Amino acid sequence: MIFDMFMSKPGTKELLGLAARLAAGGVFIYAGFLKASAPAEEFAYAIETYKVLPAALTLPAALAVPWIELYLGVFLTAGVFVRQSAFCVIAMLLGFEGLLLQALLRGLPVTSCGCFGASGSNSLGHEFAQNLAFLALAALAFKHGEKFSLDSLIDTHE
Amino acid sequence: MRARPDEAYSSRRAPAMRAESCNCNFQVSIINPMPERKTARKIFIALLLVFAATLTTLLCRQFSVGPARSSPAFRAFGPETAKIRIYEYTDFACPHCRLTDAHVNKMLELYKGSVRLDFKHYPLTSIHPWSFAAAAYADCAGGQGKFREYADLLFEGQEQWARSKDKPKEFTEYARRLNLDAPALEKCAEDPAILRRIRLDSAEGDLRGVDATPTFFINGKRAVGANQFLEQVKKFDNLLKQN
Repeated sequence: MIFDMFMSKPGTKELLGLAARLAAGGVFIYAGFLKASAPAEEFAYAIETYKVLPAALTLPAALAVPWIELYLGVFLTAGVFVRQSAFCVIAMLLGFEGLLLQALLRGLPVTSCGCFGASGSNSLGHEFAQNLAFLALAALAFKHGEKFSLDSLIDTHE
Repeated sequence: MRARPDEAYSSRRAPAMRAESCNCNFQVSIINPMPERKTARKIFIALLLVFAATLTTLLCRQFSVGPARSSPAFRAFGPETAKIRIYEYTDFACPHCRLTDAHVNKMLELYKGSVRLDFKHYPLTSIHPWSFAAAAYADCAGGQGKFREYADLLFEGQEQWARSKDKPKEFTEYARRLNLDAPALEKCAEDPAILRRIRLDSAEGDLRGVDATPTFFINGKRAVGANQFLEQVKKFDNLLKQN
């Protein structure tokens, strides 16, 4: 019974959902790990350049966000609480898009977006477009990402 | 005394009703078998994943597996492609750093082309009040093309300026001695971008578990102080032969 989900022939949507889940999860693991393994001050400086948060909150935000990204990425990749994780990923990406958009509109001199730590950064427009692609992946994972997940394994067991 | 009709009815009906409700619960549990147990399993797996991800990331930090920031070009010595990569965390006001600096310079001459050294600031401001300012001045001298020379003067005159109660005059004096633009240097040493870069070096050192100076990471291996550094240098010939 446990292997039913692996034996049954998956549809195209389910395969796309799985690929999207792994891709979106992988991106979040990568982004979270790079930032969590670098000094938080580095990411805090990137957050400061968006001029949205008060100075006192930038360091706490820089300490928390990378770990949240890492955990969500791990949950999504492994397929635990798929829909809830994908929903949180979508919410975070929408937040990032909001930050990028206001920086673009205000013409802020953001040299490093802080998206993937200090390992280089593209232009804000490029990062905005890239995040749209990640949003599409996360939405696909939300809708069709439950196949081949630990969630479905647990649900079909017993 | 006879029981009232409604009481008699309720006492006769009660067992039957209990049986019905019991059956009903049983049926519900067959349709939806222990959803709370499944949720508990998912939570347990999620917690295991959180534990594993946290542990892996913290271990990567400890063993410096994560990416390291390169130093600015003026305090990075040797080719980018060198087989031996060294990150040095130093405080200009630390006597051990002064003693080790001579060895570092000799090593760089001896292994020119085979070693890349990234100089990082790690000012121990709690015991050396002027080391942070010294790092800022050195970086600004680097901006004018004389980081190494300025750093050497800082080490040479360490005993004069490190214990100074007021802002040391030596910082400007060294600039004049090296024919640097002293007013520009003064202004640059208060530039928030320069101060931020030094704080980042320091934060990176904290993350790598640096708590004494000088600390070196030679191809990822830690060496603290001159003796451990020289022990590692002795292995360079073998390292270069192996690769």
